[in-house]
Amino acid sequence: MNGRNTALVPSFQRPLSTVLIRRSASYEMELASLIYESLLEFKLPTKDKTVLLKPNLVGLDPLGIVNTHPAVIAGAREAFLRLGASQVLIGDGPAMDRDTEAIIESVRLSEFAGPLARTFVDLNIDDVERVPLKTRASRLKELYLPKTVLGVDFLVSMPKLKTHHWAGVTLSLKNMFGVVPGSCYGWPKNVLHWAGIDRAILDINAVVRPDFAIVDGIVGMEGNGPIQGTRKACGVLVMGDDPVAVDATCCRVMGLNPGRVKYLAQAGTLLGHVQAEKIEQRGESIASVRTPFAVLDEFRQLLG
Amino acid sequence: MGIRDTIASDQRASQRMGTQTEAQFVESVCVPLLCSTQNPDGGWGFHPRSESRPEPTCWALQALLQHSWPEIPEAAVRGFRFVRETQLGDGAWPSARAERVGCWVTALACWVLLAEKNSSNAVARGLDWLCKDWPRDSTPWRRFLGRFSSQRRIFPTNNSYRGWGWTPGTSSWVEPTAFALLAFYECPAELFPPAAARRRKLAEAMLRDRMCPGGGWNCGNPLVYGVAGEPLIIPTVWALLALRNQPERRENVLSLEWLEKSVANIQGPGSFALARMCLEAYGRMWPNNAPEFRSLHQRNEFLENIQVVAWTCLALCGKRRFLPVGLPRERAS
Repeated sequence: MNGRNTALVPSFQRPLSTVLIRRSASYEMELASLIYESLLEFKLPTKDKTVLLKPNLVGLDPLGIVNTHPAVIAGAREAFLRLGASQVLIGDGPAMDRDTEAIIESVRLSEFAGPLARTFVDLNIDDVERVPLKTRASRLKELYLPKTVLGVDFLVSMPKLKTHHWAGVTLSLKNMFGVVPGSCYGWPKNVLHWAGIDRAILDINAVVRPDFAIVDGIVGMEGNGPIQGTRKACGVLVMGDDPVAVDATCCRVMGLNPGRVKYLAQAGTLLGHVQAEKIEQRGESIASVRTPFAVLDEFRQLLG
Repeated sequence: MGIRDTIASDQRASQRMGTQTEAQFVESVCVPLLCSTQNPDGGWGFHPRSESRPEPTCWALQALLQHSWPEIPEAAVRGFRFVRETQLGDGAWPSARAERVGCWVTALACWVLLAEKNSSNAVARGLDWLCKDWPRDSTPWRRFLGRFSSQRRIFPTNNSYRGWGWTPGTSSWVEPTAFALLAFYECPAELFPPAAARRRKLAEAMLRDRMCPGGGWNCGNPLVYGVAGEPLIIPTVWALLALRNQPERRENVLSLEWLEKSVANIQGPGSFALARMCLEAYGRMWPNNAPEFRSLHQRNEFLENIQVVAWTCLALCGKRRFLPVGLPRERAS
């Protein structure tokens, strides 16, 4: 086991990416069926495979605007089981608080996804393996990464649709910071900040690129995200098998130009597609669901 | 002593011994789990059947030592050996055996090895590494540059105070700073490095500077973009324990109040165990209406986290070898 053997393919050699937008007005809807029917469009190779769902779990969230909503996580879990996956794990390594059980209890994950003792993997304290990085965007040469992440057959990034006060936006690529184990790098994983957040996002995704992304945009966060921003209802789930294209589509839904999000523009050269003409949009059109998100002054250049 | 003081003193004494149910929980669940999950190499992983790592090994050892105190069981002897063997050439400890760079675990390893007479040399080298491990965010050059940086508005903290980072070459954070302070407090005079007195002063000032506006600590960002950061239980506990030589200070008082008020809302057993340890170390009462550890364990089996099991042992064991009530040893300042 050494990396997920995801070959790096320059984006100009990649076929068109497909991104699907589904409307969902609230978390009360039957999300498992909605996600299942959406996944069928992608013909995913998950039968008899182990799937890891990687939500964005940050911390206490009484307003439900910080973390990926448990209804979306549970819906995705059921959908992958219906697709024939042999096992669907849920795992994250929260960045700011090492009491992961307190976080999953505070977001009521077990109420939605059932008992978690054998289903949830705290990626912060998983066994680790040294992984040389495939790219040199940052000065990091290697990372110790959780064996669960390296060993699963299918990895799904499940972020919340949010702005971010350092990176501009936090979506399926930035969400992969959560696979970097706190037990090696601390709470927060400060070594990634010193390496440069934008650059570290690229290096991590080059070595553990998600196979699929499902973005919880039913209720997102604008302004001073990822923790202290403001609630923003958007009413969508955005998903696809190219995390870069999914993130680019999310930016367009948020009224932001993905080409001006530093790490996303760079990801568009090696990890997936950013350009609209390289992305086949299915489901709802971007225009019909566009919901402009407010950004901090430092990120005004992303608007439009 | 008035009748009210006597009652409070009795209650505290009975609290320290733990209730019968809690003692049974430790005896029937936690200690057997710790003993049965020790790996053949003497260490513990974060989970049963996972690879040995220095950090959970340190906590499992602290728990076993407290449980068996003053005896040192055979399992602890093997655990000490594992800890000693994972020390790097420069005196630091890594977080995983394969890693070649030391980190905050060094403080935890020094702390636990203080209980073992054959480890003085290893401890001395570890403490020496800690003294030399300065955070990168607060070098004189960075402080100079910081005067012109827009980041001053974002992080209005005083960078002349310096603690410890999680890993070398990064910023000061609350928990690793607290761990280093605790290791220095616990070490006997003959092992106390001369440079540690200055580091301790700077680190204590850094912790106080990083307190959240209403009391308590988070990882180390009390204010971001003008918005107050929310305190968290675990960093608050470690900061309070590291600063308990000054219990009357405003930061301690405010933060203890915050911790006491927060106990009712704690949702994780790890936070719960540490909060209990901290309040007891400050001689405070544990709320009668707090949930029982056994019921917390039944919820998710602590996610099979060995470290949480060890913290629970430490919190509920009546013998107070570990972080006893009262002030820590005073060292030359």
